Amino acid sequence: MAMNLNGVGYIVRETARNLIRNSWMSLASVSTVAISMFVLSFFLVLTTNLNHVTSVLQSQVEMKVFINRQVPRSQELALLKKARHWPNVRRIDFFTKQQAAASLKQEFPDQRDLVTLISKSNPLFDGYDVYTYRPQAIPQLAARFKKKSIVHTVVYEGQVVSRLDKLSNILRWVGWIVEGLLGLATLFIIVNTIRLAVFARRREVQVMKLVGATDWFIRWPFVLEGMVLGILGALVADVVVDGGYRWLTGVAAVALPFWPLASLHSVMSEVLMFTLIGGVLVGVLASLVALRRFLRV
Amino acid sequence: MIRLEKVSKRYPNGHYGLVDVSLTIRRGEFLFLVGPSGAGKSSLIRLLYREESASQGEVFVDQFKLSSLRRSQVARLRRQLGVVFQDVKLLPQRTVYQNVAFAMEAVGASTRDIHKRVPQVLELVGLSRSRDNYPHQLSGGEQQRVGIARALVNNPIYIIADEPTGNLDPETARDIMKLFVEINRRGATVIMATHAKDIVNQMQRRVVAIEQGRIVRDEVRGVYGYES
Repeated sequence: MAMNLNGVGYIVRETARNLIRNSWMSLASVSTVAISMFVLSFFLVLTTNLNHVTSVLQSQVEMKVFINRQVPRSQELALLKKARHWPNVRRIDFFTKQQAAASLKQEFPDQRDLVTLISKSNPLFDGYDVYTYRPQAIPQLAARFKKKSIVHTVVYEGQVVSRLDKLSNILRWVGWIVEGLLGLATLFIIVNTIRLAVFARRREVQVMKLVGATDWFIRWPFVLEGMVLGILGALVADVVVDGGYRWLTGVAAVALPFWPLASLHSVMSEVLMFTLIGGVLVGVLASLVALRRFLRV
Repeated sequence: MIRLEKVSKRYPNGHYGLVDVSLTIRRGEFLFLVGPSGAGKSSLIRLLYREESASQGEVFVDQFKLSSLRRSQVARLRRQLGVVFQDVKLLPQRTVYQNVAFAMEAVGASTRDIHKRVPQVLELVGLSRSRDNYPHQLSGGEQQRVGIARALVNNPIYIIADEPTGNLDPETARDIMKLFVEINRRGATVIMATHAKDIVNQMQRRVVAIEQGRIVRDEVRGVYGYES
């Protein structure tokens, strides 16, 4: 695989010549890669967003424990102290009903009726915000709090979180399978493009082998051609996805203001990385497959 | 030194190209391989540059033991050999100069070396004035000279030619043969399969005759010996 610098100029020239000579097949290959990478990006956008929603939900209170009215503060604080050492408790914060009312007001400043209601006679409870290490531990922990006589109710969203987790796992698998099939189709098209290029140059390849060119020296222009096709296709997909996601976030900001969409930056960094890696891989693999037969001289 | 030890070549269809051939060729020799068509001359030549491998026996070319050559070493073997074909195998879209330069590009030579070496070789084969012509603009003899220039350009130790004058008229063939003599005089070992009876008889070089895959004659100052 090693080569001196003299070969580089030759390899670049040959690559450009091949791409131009088969411009229609090159175009077809780039389009196929682009479509395949677009589908890959689609799944990436979906899973990135699902992960984003999941993490937003997880960072919010995982479990709220409400204490009966009239329970003295000392008992409330005693349970707080004990619960801090229970397994799976990551963090536990005490809040009074006044604090609860304040944060409600802050969260919904436009809901006049609500604000007046909780300002007049506070119907809320004292309680704890409980955070866990694993969402799966929530039901068990909730049951443990409920057994205490001072506890009124326990509320948690753990099920939503673990369902979202499952969904994004399934989506990831579906994504890989669809992408695998599309990848094969893409591979097939690029193999044919490169094979045309090799076929057009079979006499050159034969002469090169006979005068003692190494296999890698012969391969490089074709491998580079495959890489260029793969990268171009990936970039086309990236531009489309970037534009599309900008549009989507714009629309969503108006139509679904509370929906936590993943940022353009976090989506595009995933998309760029995976599509470029995918494009290069599929391009290089295709050229190696296409060349195998021709190098046996 | 090239050495064949009890080499047999059997093709997949069961036909034998060579049977139990042993032969030693020293550096600096000029050797003719003669014999009827299909006798095994081309088989022997293809074994030397490893287009084919022996079925039995062993072929040595200098330090290379051809039966145990890895793919990466085949390239190194071929850089010691310059091969000239009856059908020349020139690249039609490249000029004379580019065809010869291509052989140097293919082994990663620097542009400076190429600019220096190619004109020298074209001068040697007498094609300096046709350097910018395309192969189809040349006569058969001139095309073969380009083929020889390409074989020479990487300074090989051995020049191997498979009926290089097969498609040429006797006059042109004689000129080409003179060129090989000159190449041999400059130090390269020349191994040539040929049908050119008159030339072989006239040149008085080592002649190895092959019939039905076997060596039947090996003479230091030989003659063609067949009524073809």
